[in-house]
Amino acid sequence: MAAWPNPSEVLGKPATRLDAEAKVTGRAKYTYDVQPEGWLYGMILRSKWAAAKVTKIDLSKAQAMPGVKAAILTGGENRTVRYYGQELAAIAATTKQACLDALRAIEVTAEPLPFVVKEDDAMKPDSPRVFEKSPNVSDPSVREDGHVDDAMASAAVVCEAELRTQIQLHHPLETHGNVVWIQNDHATVWASTQGISSVRDSLNGAAGIPQSNIQVLCDYMGGGFGSKFGAGAHGRIAADLSKAAGAPVKLMLNRLEQGLAVGNRPSSIQKVKFAADKDGKLLAADVENHGSPGIGGGGQTAGGGGGANISMPYIYRFPNSRSKQFGVALNTGASTAFRAPGHPPASFSTESMMDELAVKLGMDPVEFRLLNDPDGTRQEEYRDGRDKFGWAAKYKKPGSDPGPIKTGVGCAGGTWGGGGGGTKAEVQINSDGTVEMRCGTQDLGTGSRTVIAMVAAEAFGLHPSDITVKIGDTNLPPSGGSGGSSTTASVAPAIWDTCQKALETLQQQTGVADARGANWSDACKKLGVTPLSAQGQWQKGLSSGGAGGVNFAEVEVDTETGFIRLKKIVAVHDCGLIVNPLTTTSQINGGITSGIGYALYEERVMDRYTGLMLNNNFDSYKIPNIADMPDIEVILHNKPERGVIGIGEPAVIPVAGAIANAVANAIGVRIHSLPITPAKVLAALGKVPNVTTV
Amino acid sequence: MNSFQYVTAHTPDEAVSLIGKNGRYLAGGIDLLGEMKDYIVSPDVVVNVKGMSQPTELGTILLPTGVTNTANCQIGASVTVAEIAAHEDLKKVLPGLIEAASEIGSPQIRNVATLAGNLLQHSRCWYYRQPDIVCLKRGGDMCHAHEGENKYHSLFTGCACLSPVVSNLSVIFAALDVAIKVKRAGKTETLSIAEFYQEAWKNPQTHNSLNPEDFLLTASIPLKRTRSAYRQVSEKSEFDWAMVSCAAAGNVANGKITNVRVALGAVAPVPYMVEAAHHFLEGKSLTDENASKAADLILKDAKPLAHNGYKVPLAHTLIRRTLLALNP
Repeated sequence: MAAWPNPSEVLGKPATRLDAEAKVTGRAKYTYDVQPEGWLYGMILRSKWAAAKVTKIDLSKAQAMPGVKAAILTGGENRTVRYYGQELAAIAATTKQACLDALRAIEVTAEPLPFVVKEDDAMKPDSPRVFEKSPNVSDPSVREDGHVDDAMASAAVVCEAELRTQIQLHHPLETHGNVVWIQNDHATVWASTQGISSVRDSLNGAAGIPQSNIQVLCDYMGGGFGSKFGAGAHGRIAADLSKAAGAPVKLMLNRLEQGLAVGNRPSSIQKVKFAADKDGKLLAADVENHGSPGIGGGGQTAGGGGGANISMPYIYRFPNSRSKQFGVALNTGASTAFRAPGHPPASFSTESMMDELAVKLGMDPVEFRLLNDPDGTRQEEYRDGRDKFGWAAKYKKPGSDPGPIKTGVGCAGGTWGGGGGGTKAEVQINSDGTVEMRCGTQDLGTGSRTVIAMVAAEAFGLHPSDITVKIGDTNLPPSGGSGGSSTTASVAPAIWDTCQKALETLQQQTGVADARGANWSDACKKLGVTPLSAQGQWQKGLSSGGAGGVNFAEVEVDTETGFIRLKKIVAVHDCGLIVNPLTTTSQINGGITSGIGYALYEERVMDRYTGLMLNNNFDSYKIPNIADMPDIEVILHNKPERGVIGIGEPAVIPVAGAIANAVANAIGVRIHSLPITPAKVLAALGKVPNVTTV
Repeated sequence: MNSFQYVTAHTPDEAVSLIGKNGRYLAGGIDLLGEMKDYIVSPDVVVNVKGMSQPTELGTILLPTGVTNTANCQIGASVTVAEIAAHEDLKKVLPGLIEAASEIGSPQIRNVATLAGNLLQHSRCWYYRQPDIVCLKRGGDMCHAHEGENKYHSLFTGCACLSPVVSNLSVIFAALDVAIKVKRAGKTETLSIAEFYQEAWKNPQTHNSLNPEDFLLTASIPLKRTRSAYRQVSEKSEFDWAMVSCAAAGNVANGKITNVRVALGAVAPVPYMVEAAHHFLEGKSLTDENASKAADLILKDAKPLAHNGYKVPLAHTLIRRTLLALNP
């Protein structure tokens, strides 16, 4: 079985991103920047209704407008639309304004239908149905182990609550989009994607192009968080527009569209009941969850076709457990994978209840977790993090700070699979010693280029900056999508394998016993006119799965204004072999940022009466700024013997749970729904007159 | 956006002559351009009023040396928020103004946004801003906030529109009793802050009392109140609208407050003031108890909605804290 070198020269040492300068100087070209000769703007006309029966879409006026090169329907005229933002028609034109004018000239005849956009409304028996033939609420998926009711009855302590999490939007800073150029039976696609192959596969057959004739390119992309796999409806529309107009079409979504039609993190309404014995050992968990995937991805079925289930009960070992999970269909855009799908809401509710139990038992929350967490990795992380955070000095009885401004601390844990597979790579070594690595992966922002260069540099005894890296092109050896925190664990082993094969060939061919490092250029000179090329692929032994992480959070809550100031977050993570501590830490910082947004600020707001989304701008869909960032300390537990695992998703999981626990510890009252806003803090403290909250 | 004519004016008179019935003045452009792009407003003429060199007062902060009770500080309409926020001498005499200016937007916005633009800031109500909703303020037939998502809406209003004023400067200017000089129908008129906003209290389709052709010239700030303060609470630490803001100004001598004025922002279509609170405070010590009683008086008529009840305790806290900040 393959193995990583020990000790290593390059792996595990911080390396600046190879493309850092290109990115900060603007030389790096994103899909937004691509401008092929003769390109047109593409835009989509979307449903203004949450539900409507469309009978006619008249494109004739739009088609006749100056600059308009194509006007198409995206799904026929006679049909039912089921959410605000659903695609109806599209325009390609020579300028942005021509597109906008043409969109406004399209006449849509439609009869509005009853709709429902709030979970609580959709769950009522008399609610309008999202799909006429199916109820809004699905049958539950049920899992039961042991004897929950008996265990609850015999338990020394029981805690019960309804916990809620909101719909969170991905909002990558580069919005979704593609530039598609169809020429005869070939297509070139510049995609803002986390899976170039998935874009090609999903365009297969679109506009009659076979898979082998589609080339997808992505040099740089501005974030995806799980929502940028495949070409999407907007990508297929761009292809149709390009074919109709006979020109390249750039179709990038705007911020409103970004919030409506390209996915979100499903909501959850969790009725949770946990029980423990008098010594603090967990006995039983009973969970009932209603989550909404919006219109869902599973066809016109009850509950929107699934996709909203969460990993409950989370991480702890409950000898008796029962979970019932229901999907709730809504007339809103479908959910999609979002950084650690199913985990952050589960961590939030589980860890909230764990703290409630600890308080009832009179136990220290960290001790309570050490007693109940079956995972040795997290046990180590709790012990280490507790000391570095200064838990013993900071933890006190909930709400016990004197004065109106109170501090509190909390902790929470998470788990993730990670791991890799399915990647091929190629290397070309030239006689001047230059090295080009080729791999059909893409850089989601995790630093894939740099990781590839580091692994090759380690293999050849060179410096990462000596390696030229080609990625983001489906004509390169195939790799998978960047999802599930699997990119580095998939790519690094394939690069290592490729380089080992190349090194062996180089040494055999040139007779240099060890061609690495100081001997590199002499060995390469002996190659002569034909460069050496070698192929390799992912091998077992260089990666594994199963990452664990814990967070500690410290907050300061102003009980007279409800304002929460995050003071400190300590994040302790294991992700096996750390290839590049700098980009690993960067991933964790990013995960914490997103987790802070989830905990305190972000929430898609739908209007019950119009069925429209209200917060389509960053002044009302609130993402954290630099000023909202606490002091963040990332502690990496490096475990080279485990191989590469992945960290993107584990980083976000425990953040909201730790913050929620810190707030409850500060004010002595728990807020059961995310985001934890000042309004909810004041309401929880009983300061709001006659308020109706949800 | 819809197409429009773009012209540059070099003097206020020229600007007024170019504006027509459906024109808009463009200074910082922070809000105007966003509204035009979202088809919320569609002027047929946009009159560029940046860089008018005459009269010089438009771009100037005039702070007399040797402050006396009768002196005023005059700030021109096109002075940027950043210039106000960074003015060291203003900080000494009008600390509340600096606090209010420093909380506007982000550094990038403050560098471009002007005094006039902030005072004339249009509603940020998310029904008003939603491109596919035509609400009452935009000429529709209903205010959706009454039964809808009204977390950020008004506690007090004299009309059917629930969107509150969100200009920071309006709130501190109300407390400082600022006079606004406006070119109107060929004459120069002076409006109090109450007059400047009163139309929005009663007419749901307005954001302030100015007519489209009125041209804002200067703000004149009396310096007779030597103590001033501004506090706001937003959901985020920076670059976020206030959920509630509060400004107070007055004189404090021997522990007693006189001439005090208190105004709330983001709770009404106008900077909200209650005279009874000023009368109550006159001559009293600035204690937490007195500040709290003043807050009770100011909030007496609050009508919380389903989702904005938190603004009542929040406003109460802010009134107390802002008043107590007047203590030297």
